[in-house]
Amino acid sequence: MGDTSLLNNYLGVGAILFTLGLVGFLTRRNLIVMFLCAEMMLQGVALTLVGFSTYHGSWGGQVFTVFSLALAGAEAAVALALIVVLFRRNESLDVSLWQDLREADQPPVTDDFEPEVLEPEVLGPVLTKSGLLPGQKGMVTPHRSIHEAIEEQRHEPVEVSHD
Amino acid sequence: MGQFELTLETLLIVALSGIGGWYLLLPRGRGVMTGPVWKVLGAAMATIGVALMAWAFGARLANTTNDLTFYALATVTIASAIAMISARNPVISALWFALVLLANSGLFLLQGAEFLSAATVIIYAGAIIVTFLFVIMLAQPRGSARYDNYSREPFLSCTAGVILCWTLLGTLHYSATVEAAPLETRELGQSDALPRPEIVAHYLATQPESRIDLTKPHVDSLGRTLFLEHYVSVEIIAMLLLVAVVGAVLIANRKRESTSS
Repeated sequence: MGDTSLLNNYLGVGAILFTLGLVGFLTRRNLIVMFLCAEMMLQGVALTLVGFSTYHGSWGGQVFTVFSLALAGAEAAVALALIVVLFRRNESLDVSLWQDLREADQPPVTDDFEPEVLEPEVLGPVLTKSGLLPGQKGMVTPHRSIHEAIEEQRHEPVEVSHD
Repeated sequence: MGQFELTLETLLIVALSGIGGWYLLLPRGRGVMTGPVWKVLGAAMATIGVALMAWAFGARLANTTNDLTFYALATVTIASAIAMISARNPVISALWFALVLLANSGLFLLQGAEFLSAATVIIYAGAIIVTFLFVIMLAQPRGSARYDNYSREPFLSCTAGVILCWTLLGTLHYSATVEAAPLETRELGQSDALPRPEIVAHYLATQPESRIDLTKPHVDSLGRTLFLEHYVSVEIIAMLLLVAVVGAVLIANRKRESTSS
């Protein structure tokens, strides 16, 4: 028999993980995120099982967790294959598109999306204006290399100030 | 640390901060209260709610290195889980889930489940998350999808989640206090709700093969238990995996014409 308060701490983390997975599964609309949340609920249960296994000094919980790992792998394989097929049909992962599968007497769910706000498209970076426009007076002539510029500077008369 | 008083006011504070925090963190489009300031406020409220709930149900103050490691890993686990369910991008969501798994395998290691810790990292974080990411890349509509930016009934879900969490933790707290009390002081009916410790100990003592013996190597003993006592279950789960793989290949390889008809 192990420490009860230590066991309770692990069980508490497992319970919180399970609850968060449930909240995510209920609220999110993306099929993939819903499956991720279901996997998180499995993780919470696995933590609980390992906690009991350590507390009782028995291998049972860990063996159970090994099986749940294999089960999660099988579930992920089939679920992801299904998600790929469903995406090919509708080009969308929205779970509301599959509400035809509901019971006959259930009312359809209407999405409460707000009207889409299209942001203006930005084509590349906008640079601040600097320098002169081409063709204006005072413009530096093009095709002048840096060496020519240095040569020009050197041949210019240097003004010497006389005291 | 003194025990948190379970009065009506504190219960209300915990419930409101939990519900409000989770509600503010969930994606809700461009509606009211959806700026980054509200996200920070939601994170703070969720932290306060979870911490108060843990405190109310008798989490111990850390006094050893083991406890400190536990609290660090538990904090990472829960924070990543909250970030996972509130991330708008499914890729970000999957990466947060990978962090949940890593912290979780740390918790397994802390409990002495070495094989499971390694297996979780290898199978979940190594294989399943990578497959999830592949499928997200395969099946991602152009740009950010609108349905990712909206939650379905966030307020009701958060309320249900907090009530469920409160119930689970309260049951844990209740069972711990009842079990800690001596048998004579238990009220009638309370002792029937739980298996008595001596019954559990007797049951476990009659199964010598499945006892954890820390002097033997861990994987050796686990494998012995798995393949001696649970041999049929191993065969069944192997069969299940095979069938799942065949089914997945069959489902995903269907031609486009046959699926659209």
